[in-house]
Amino acid sequence: MRDAFTVLGVDENADDAEIRRRYLSLVRDFPPDRAPDRFQEYRAAYDALSDERKRLEAKLLHTNEVALSRLSMAALRAASSGSSRATKRTVTALLAEGIMRTATD
Amino acid sequence: MKKSHRRGPSPSVPISTLADRAAEALQHERYKEAVELYKLVICQDPRPEWKQALADAYAGRARALAAKGMFKEAAMVLENTLAPDGTLQDPLLYLKCLIRQGQQQQQKAAAYVLQHVGSGRTLPAIEQTSLEELAAALLVSVPQLPAPAGTTPSEQTRWLELAAVAREALATWVNGASAEEMDRQLSRISLRSAFKPARLLLKCLTAGPQDADRTRQLLETIRPGSPFFPFKQAVEAAVIGGSALDAGGWARLAPVQRTFVAETRGLPAEAAELLVRFSEAARIGPGALFAYLLKQPDLPQTEVRSACLNLLPQIPDRLPQFEKSFGPLSKLEQCRIQALAAEARGDWEKAERSWRATAAAIASEGGEQAKLAQGVIFRHLARLAADHSEIEGDGYGLLDDAVIFYLQRSHETDPEHIPTVLELIRLYREGGRHSDWHRVVDDAIQHFPDDSQMLLQATESAVARKAYKKAAGFARRLLQIDPINPGVRRQMIELQVAHARKQVRAKRPDLAAKELSGAAEWDRPDAPSAVLRIARGLVALQTGQEGQAEAWLREGVNLAGGGVAGWFQVALEAELMKSGSRARLRVELARARETPPSKDAVMAIVAVLGRPEAGENKRAVSELLLAMHAWLLQAAAFRWSPAEFQALAEMFARAEAFDLLQEYTRAAHRREPAEPTLRFYEIVARTRGEASRLSISEMDALEQMANAAADRRDFHMANRIQRYMVGDDGARSGRRRSTAALLDELDEGDVDEIMVSMLAEMAGKSGDKLRRLVGDFGRQGAVAHLIEEVRSSSFGRSMPEPMLRELFEAMVAAAAVDDKRRRQRSSARQVLP
Repeated sequence: MRDAFTVLGVDENADDAEIRRRYLSLVRDFPPDRAPDRFQEYRAAYDALSDERKRLEAKLLHTNEVALSRLSMAALRAASSGSSRATKRTVTALLAEGIMRTATD
Repeated sequence: MKKSHRRGPSPSVPISTLADRAAEALQHERYKEAVELYKLVICQDPRPEWKQALADAYAGRARALAAKGMFKEAAMVLENTLAPDGTLQDPLLYLKCLIRQGQQQQQKAAAYVLQHVGSGRTLPAIEQTSLEELAAALLVSVPQLPAPAGTTPSEQTRWLELAAVAREALATWVNGASAEEMDRQLSRISLRSAFKPARLLLKCLTAGPQDADRTRQLLETIRPGSPFFPFKQAVEAAVIGGSALDAGGWARLAPVQRTFVAETRGLPAEAAELLVRFSEAARIGPGALFAYLLKQPDLPQTEVRSACLNLLPQIPDRLPQFEKSFGPLSKLEQCRIQALAAEARGDWEKAERSWRATAAAIASEGGEQAKLAQGVIFRHLARLAADHSEIEGDGYGLLDDAVIFYLQRSHETDPEHIPTVLELIRLYREGGRHSDWHRVVDDAIQHFPDDSQMLLQATESAVARKAYKKAAGFARRLLQIDPINPGVRRQMIELQVAHARKQVRAKRPDLAAKELSGAAEWDRPDAPSAVLRIARGLVALQTGQEGQAEAWLREGVNLAGGGVAGWFQVALEAELMKSGSRARLRVELARARETPPSKDAVMAIVAVLGRPEAGENKRAVSELLLAMHAWLLQAAAFRWSPAEFQALAEMFARAEAFDLLQEYTRAAHRREPAEPTLRFYEIVARTRGEASRLSISEMDALEQMANAAADRRDFHMANRIQRYMVGDDGARSGRRRSTAALLDELDEGDVDEIMVSMLAEMAGKSGDKLRRLVGDFGRQGAVAHLIEEVRSSSFGRSMPEPMLRELFEAMVAAAAVDDKRRRQRSSARQVLP
């Protein structure tokens, strides 16, 4: 289970308004009828950060990966989207991942 | 020597019997047995229905093996169901079993799936779609396409052609073909085939991010259960970006999906390495990632510091390295990291010390935010204390006390946090610490006068203190906020009925009538109260309003379940009120008893006798039960469930109706001779509820029963037996009471006497000696040793064991804490707030 800051992709020092804005933008992109699992995840993360005490709890009692994700993002943003091609090996591994997940369900 | 047993049925068993036994085994999911029996049956007569049943048994056996993770064995079992067309009984399960055996079996899975789709055999719609999707994914991904085989090669050829086209399209995209070239390739993949997802994915990758809505629309047609779904997620993140590829979206991707995104977006080598390291960190641990991050001067250092700080609780030994790179950490962060690290390795004593040091460091910062943060830490410690006895709170080591200690600290630093107050109230109330309970409620209602939960607590606290007017005031305020609240309405009605009862007993029916008409204020038409109507009816009889009394009583009887159950409640209320009409009402009850008992009627009586007012007049209850004896006896042979029986038995024991208890227990024993609780009630009935009448063998049996109940986690029964054995039958079950609660029950003289005697007994037990005892026997052993010692004295024999245990646990814990403090002082390293 990933931490709430990382799920919503907000800074550890984000305030109520910022967290709400971010949550609403995410559920607009992934509404419950289209992406029920994602919506549940966003909802749970929003609940976990919805007031000051809960945010303090998330900051003090847990660790989070949001800084790592931001570093990844910074690296990714440096490159243009869809400008290159993946290797055959990666595509095959991706298909194998899908086949294995289906077999495990 | 002759074999006394042989396996399998004798050859003389008729085939119909064998078939019946096989069918029964199959029905009860004893697949292995069903397989063996059907094999024997088919040897004699290979009927198609029995062959099908054998195949079903094999499939069932395979499912059972697969559920245990024995995929190789499951696949082998399914191969026994091979049909002439080359298909198997449960093709989807077979495929999954092959795939889960690893990469090398995927080629075999592809060959089988081609055989299956070529056979023309169809499955139920959902299974068919899943199988075809899996077939398409397998045929696209395996290193080599399988050769066609089977009886309907045309269908196999079609699948092979489509698979070859899809594989070629993928290879073409990988090799960097232009959009036009890709369009040409993709048009060869039929949108009606199971290869459609491959076409859509490549289409989105070729089109790029220009039309995000169209891309999203296309991708949404690939459903979550499809084997192409992880590919779809990767394409979404690579092409659309946005929220699919923000920090949260990136973290959601699997390593292979991240690699795909990185490659598709053409990342430079350093950035790709960074991403690979992040993916690897999950696999090889945080140390490698920490070391890698420290060596990246080109990355934004604030983010690197934050990322490393969050890794430290998993690798606390890297703290000096961190401080060397980023400067010294604050005391708060140091302690917090130590606390999280201690929790991760289950070192709860260290975790407690470190969290307390963190709270102290926060307190030194001052301000409102700091107080909230302290409150958060103390609540966390309270939660830890509930689960881990090593968390000691103020050092006395009693589980509830540590929880309460930290909740109190949390409440002091963050008094606005309502759940903490409610939890404290609950613990005080359940722990029998009545003065603390009422004190916290009184404070809380001043602080939160309009909170419905606090108003409910205040009402209940006032009711418990018999402060009727205060309770009514809180209840009225609560109903203004929450007009329905059935709990508080019922409570207020019962309180006023109790008041009216006293007034009838004092020969003041006029005042009782006034009281009850006030109680009607709380009654709601959609949930009318039987208790209120019965009380009003009885008071009306006293004041000579016969017609009105009759109407209220009939209404009350119906609401109370009618018949015996209703009239029993009337008769009991009349006894409690000492009403002048008792004899007349008993006649009504006798008339109702002409109807034979039913389970519902008996359980309704149990419910009435479970109410607190029934406990006020045991004699009246015993007399009423005596009158009901013959009627209740008829119900002894009913098939009571264990829960119903326990409720009945407890009611009979409470009402001292031991003859009925004996009869019910005997009847239950005849029905359920193995039921473990029956022996306990047999003993209670025989000893007429008095532990002093127990024989030695009965005491041994009860000890065994209590242990057995604890072993099967029936703690309710285990506690019940223990309470009976120590002669503390009326005591509350469940949670352990605190020493404070036990002392509350003694008067001052008792306490003085106990303390004087205790000190005399313990004169020789200095802290050192206690510590030595703990060293020799462990904490629990030391407590047991002390109990044994005191119980052998004249004073100790009269002391209840739970109280001795509580006191000695406190002494041992205090000695341990004292010892710890001395060690801490000498090392002078830890800071306690």
